[in-house]
Amino acid sequence: MADEPMVTPEAQAMIGSETRRDTGVVYEKEARRWAAAVGDLNPRYFDEDAAREQGFRDTPIPPLFVSQVMQGVTTRDGLRPDGIPGGGGGGIPLNAAPRRMAGGEEYEFLAPIYPGDTLTAVSRIANIEEKTGRSGRFVLITRETTYTNQDGVVVVRGRLSTIAN
Amino acid sequence: MAAQVYFEDVSVGDELPEVVETVDEVQLFFFSAATNNGHRIHYDAPYTTEVEQRPNILVHGPLQAALLAKLVTDWHGPAGHLRRFRIQNRGNAFPHEQLFYGGTITDKREEGGEALVDLDIYERNEGGDVLVPGAATVSLPRRP
Repeated sequence: MADEPMVTPEAQAMIGSETRRDTGVVYEKEARRWAAAVGDLNPRYFDEDAAREQGFRDTPIPPLFVSQVMQGVTTRDGLRPDGIPGGGGGGIPLNAAPRRMAGGEEYEFLAPIYPGDTLTAVSRIANIEEKTGRSGRFVLITRETTYTNQDGVVVVRGRLSTIAN
Repeated sequence: MAAQVYFEDVSVGDELPEVVETVDEVQLFFFSAATNNGHRIHYDAPYTTEVEQRPNILVHGPLQAALLAKLVTDWHGPAGHLRRFRIQNRGNAFPHEQLFYGGTITDKREEGGEALVDLDIYERNEGGDVLVPGAATVSLPRRP
């Protein structure tokens, strides 16, 4: 068991594939709840006048909130035992790697995102790779997502990694 | 928030003032709620320690990232903009421990008409372990 590759042939075959093409509306309250949860009470995100003085047409979302715009509605049936949905990161078939944890994030912020914007996100699995770290073997799953707004402007390019072990 | 920092006033090697944050269970709860995240490792201690064999419930990797981004956006001030941000979640952060956020300027350059500053950034714990290394690029205003 221990020597069996953690990345199954089925998972290997998913590399490069488009996994998601979603559309999401940016909600001001959701962005502000996220900022408040972080403790980032920057007036840019909360105060229209402050945002306009800074050259924005409205309060932009906090940059890292972008990954939340596509969040759907999670129903409790179909969750994995650890409480995360079976699709997405949970849906990649791996051997002996039931745990999931954030691995890293990388973003290019190309244009501001405002409440009311409709973003289209196209995601692909960039890589699924077994590695060995301080606490043993793990799998690094990396997804690339391009976010485009309703005017066809690419607003953000992102890469999100998940650790499975 | 600090006074506006200008491109002309910063130099390679300058360090951002280090900021200390402590995350508690209430903040973990609000961040899980704000991200529609039911992952038990952020609130279910028996599950986290017994089933996943982790020492305690964990601070969300994306919350650690967001706190590090806050360091940068607070520093760049009202006329600055975050252009690039990259972090790696290398170690676990736990509720109630002191987390330190800092950075160093590694480059200054002009690109596409913008005055850009590159930073190496980090989150570390009290023991000095870097839990989240990363890098960021911000645009800064020029002195009027």
